[in-house]
Amino acid sequence: MFAIEAEGLSKVYRNGIFRRQEVAALTDFSIQVAPGQIFSLLGPNGAGKTTFIKMLLSLASPTSGTASILGQKLPDVRVREKVGYLPENHRYPGYLTGDQVLRYFGELGGAPRAAIRGRVDVLLGLVGLAQWRTMKVKKYSKGMLQRLGLAQALMNEPEILFLDEPTDGVDPVGRKEIREILKDLKQRGKTIFLNSHLLSEVELVSDRVAVLDRGRLLKVGTVDEMTAAGQAYVIGINGTLPDAVVVAARAFVMGLALQGENITAECRTTAELNRVIDLLRANNVEITSVTRQRNTLEESFISLIAKEARQ
Amino acid sequence: MKIITLVRGTIRELAAKATLYVLAGISTLILIAALLAVGANSTPDGMTITFFGNQASPPVTNETLEDLAGKLEAGFASGLFLGIVVFGVFGTAGVIPDALEKGTVDLYLSKPIARWQLLLGKYLGSVSVIFLNIIYFIGGLWIIVGLKVGVWNGRFLLSALLLTYVFASLYSVVTFFGVLSRNMAIAIIAGILYLILVAGPLDSRQTGLYLISESGIYRGILDGLFYTFPQIPAMQSGAMHIIAGERAEAAPYIQSFLSSGCILALSAWILRRRDF
Repeated sequence: MFAIEAEGLSKVYRNGIFRRQEVAALTDFSIQVAPGQIFSLLGPNGAGKTTFIKMLLSLASPTSGTASILGQKLPDVRVREKVGYLPENHRYPGYLTGDQVLRYFGELGGAPRAAIRGRVDVLLGLVGLAQWRTMKVKKYSKGMLQRLGLAQALMNEPEILFLDEPTDGVDPVGRKEIREILKDLKQRGKTIFLNSHLLSEVELVSDRVAVLDRGRLLKVGTVDEMTAAGQAYVIGINGTLPDAVVVAARAFVMGLALQGENITAECRTTAELNRVIDLLRANNVEITSVTRQRNTLEESFISLIAKEARQ
Repeated sequence: MKIITLVRGTIRELAAKATLYVLAGISTLILIAALLAVGANSTPDGMTITFFGNQASPPVTNETLEDLAGKLEAGFASGLFLGIVVFGVFGTAGVIPDALEKGTVDLYLSKPIARWQLLLGKYLGSVSVIFLNIIYFIGGLWIIVGLKVGVWNGRFLLSALLLTYVFASLYSVVTFFGVLSRNMAIAIIAGILYLILVAGPLDSRQTGLYLISESGIYRGILDGLFYTFPQIPAMQSGAMHIIAGERAEAAPYIQSFLSSGCILALSAWILRRRDF
């Protein structure tokens, strides 16, 4: 059973006075998220990321396609007892204190009343708001509101957590703390579905990543798969590389570049890589490391979006 | 259970707004004035009601005194109704549009709450706050009149429920337009315009709108509309009659219950179909 499953999900918004203007927010979107993963959905503004979450939470209804959460076909009100959600632009009642917000939304989320008191204490401590618990939320900074939002999403001990830009407005220390919380939740078996623009953060915490653009799914894979830069390898060596070896290697690889004590070899296959290694060893070149060259997630993402735009 | 949480949340939300404190403040001023002004004197010819120490009624028997006190209370309740329409609608019309605002509705609907539950919880919360305002005024005045005139009119206390019921009917219209427009100003204007341009003229159609045409179809349409929408003026007038110890028809209350129920159901249906 998947934590989240979508099959051919599409959403067309109809705008204008006579609702004749159609905007396709999501087109034939299919995805499967296994339990216990941190799954991130990436895409430029207007790609359809939030629309997808809203359809899963029944805030918007799909034009076509089906979706399920924890095996329960949507829409289903009860499934939301197992879900926590931090919306992108949340508005909490400004007249409530942080403590009261958690109690209120905890009760609405179906958390047992007897457990709420203790859970509020734990969660306010977890997100670093314990000392601000009696302050009205209208006085909270953006970063504090994000922390409160995260605590709110965790109030009913959800099995799946949907976080839309969770670190928006949070300082670097706070972002690190949130990352640690997410990793801890993952270790406790929770599934986390993340929408974020901060790709460097996504890269640090995600197990799998999907890229959306203009409502279409471009690519899904692990972070390793997304960031792999073809078949380029960086081989670390001790000392200098004889010119004859360079010439010999260039005869069979796609490309070979030298930078200090690093050789970057572009190979078609791993067999080619092994041939380069054999060549180096036969010439008594001491190898210190062999690593696959990677792009950052941001570079991969931009390249993917740019490629899509060209098409 | 979740509806109760929503009701409590709405009461808290409205308690944070100033508008309803104005209504409570005005009620308090009127109660203080009533406490200082209203009294009763025993004379050899019978009892008289006094107003700031001056005789305001001829000497009457105890039974007639009860009638007079009832009319006095009905007058106050009538004024209270006007206050509720103005301050109550202004104070509560924002509840539904605020709940449906982006960023807030996401928080509510991501919880295991059906949309009709959200609507009903917010609706009942607003009505509860108005009920508390009404019971404060009516209860206070009931005690003052009881203590100072010696008339304990149970019907006057009952009118707190009736006036709340009248407000609840009007508020179903405000709720409908709140859902439809998600705009507080439109909800307020629609509620007030409904009262002035629809409910009022339909209630007095026999002496007003009927005169425009003698066509049976036209009058049939007017009658149909009258029985379709909540009959606010008829219910308000009925409440005044009950306070004064007179008979009042139950039909407007029953019809308005059905009508308001349909309006709320329609609002829930519109809300259910909406994307956020």
